[in-house]
Amino acid sequence: MARRIGQTETGGERAVRMGTVALFWVFVILSVYPMVWLVLSSFKTSSEMFGSAWALPKAWRWQNYGAAWDYGVSQYLISSVIVTVVSTALIVVLAAAAAYALVALKLRGKTLLYLAILGGSILPPEVALLPLFRTVSALGIYNTYWALIIPYVAFGLPFTTFLIRAYMVKIPLELAEAAKMDGAGPFWTFWNVYLPLSRPILASAALISAMRVWNEFIFALTFVESESVKTVTIGMMSFANALRGDWAVLMAGLVISVLPILAVFLVLQRQFIGGLTQGAVK
Amino acid sequence: MKASLLSRYAPYLFLFPSLLLLVAFVYAPALENMVYSLFSWSSVRTEQRFVGLDNYRELFANPVFWRALVNNVLYAVISIMFQVIVALVIAAVLVGGIIGPRQRTLFRTAFFLPSILPVTVVGLLWQLIYQPTIGLIDQVLYSTGLQGLSHVWLGEEATVMISVIMVSQWQWTGYMIVLFMVSIQAIPDDLYEALKMEGANRIQQFFHITVPGVRESTLILAIITIFGAFKVFDIVWVMTAGGPNNASEVLGTHMYRSAFRNDVSGYAAAVATVIFLITLAIGAVQIRLQRQD
Repeated sequence: MARRIGQTETGGERAVRMGTVALFWVFVILSVYPMVWLVLSSFKTSSEMFGSAWALPKAWRWQNYGAAWDYGVSQYLISSVIVTVVSTALIVVLAAAAAYALVALKLRGKTLLYLAILGGSILPPEVALLPLFRTVSALGIYNTYWALIIPYVAFGLPFTTFLIRAYMVKIPLELAEAAKMDGAGPFWTFWNVYLPLSRPILASAALISAMRVWNEFIFALTFVESESVKTVTIGMMSFANALRGDWAVLMAGLVISVLPILAVFLVLQRQFIGGLTQGAVK
Repeated sequence: MKASLLSRYAPYLFLFPSLLLLVAFVYAPALENMVYSLFSWSSVRTEQRFVGLDNYRELFANPVFWRALVNNVLYAVISIMFQVIVALVIAAVLVGGIIGPRQRTLFRTAFFLPSILPVTVVGLLWQLIYQPTIGLIDQVLYSTGLQGLSHVWLGEEATVMISVIMVSQWQWTGYMIVLFMVSIQAIPDDLYEALKMEGANRIQQFFHITVPGVRESTLILAIITIFGAFKVFDIVWVMTAGGPNNASEVLGTHMYRSAFRNDVSGYAAAVATVIFLITLAIGAVQIRLQRQD
């Protein structure tokens, strides 16, 4: 229903179009301005920040960023990168393996096994939080990266398996059968046929998992306590408490903590949105 | 012999790690939680005393619990308004051809952007935006002569919940717009062309083609939205931690505070079980509705 180019437009239609576009620009400002304000404020002094919310900084204070970095943001970032990379790799590999078995191998009770994996997606983390806290303590991994990685993998698997399975179903089974005829085992077929063919969905799945792990909150709040293990989401809360009053430096810290995901998102926007829309899950 | 044994069990080897992790770290804790809810215990007292349904009795007699539940319902209702109804309309306009493709991409990215931000960043940023007098909102109100509308947004019981809920709408409406855009784009163009031939205007097209065309995805997105509203924890914890005076308490924060601040673990487990039952009911409704199609 796109309007043809050259098709004449009446005055009324033109007014509707202009009005709509104008309205949408208002929405854009509502959506984006808080973030613009964040970035502008991070270059100001704290008094300037609240005194003149709409103005550009009088002088661009890059030292806010240095101060935020020295306050420990760098350590939080390192923790977040480690936890995110390890969790994402495990989630994608395990989910791909499970999806492959569900799609291409002979299994008894396939539907039941699939439901056993998928069912995990309806359980909110809150429901398991208290017992998980005790499990994590009992395993002796409380306050380590593993206290985050293992629950992230477990809770990330259902959605990711669903996503990858939906893609692998479309790979012709004949390929697996042909490989079997040639004497290839299931591991060979998984590694050399299914994984390479699923590359686009693996990329989307990795992106979505990474974004979720990076942003995860309640486990990170509960299962670690040392500043050296805290991820960015929780670290920023200690950071904010330590900085009460020095708002501009806090804003600089917030910007730093967003930059990695923002960069990844802007580069890989298409794959990210593509994966999300196939899964339709927050 | 060995090879055939391996090939018979190989399929299960692919599933084993996933199932093990799910059982140990998702299902077992969820079940344990229900058991915990029947005991009175805390991390200080190691002794656990079986109390039956006492924790639930206490819960239903606690006004804070009801406050939290009502706040979750409010969260769900407002989220449906913005993230389903408003998002659908905006998505339909974006796809509908009034706005050119270049601008459409720009708008889409701009709307989507807040959803990639970590919740701590969003929460802390909006805390500052909501600051009385000096925050962005009050500055706008003062500069437009509307200072009468100013509030201590996060400090007054009357405004705190709605203020937090609106931050969620700010963050997630754009995300839902993008999901709706994809599902509207999947509707065949000739359906619109046919209706246009009959002289239907854009609003009629929206109600006669777009809405029925995205019925199924709307249902799923609505369920996800409600689901999210009942398990919300993070944004509330960052912005208000449920305060002032429990005015912005939701079930998630009520559970968390009971478990890790007030150290009444059995009670906290009962709250978590209620959250679980609610999400289960939502899931059941979803399955029922999908079966009817």
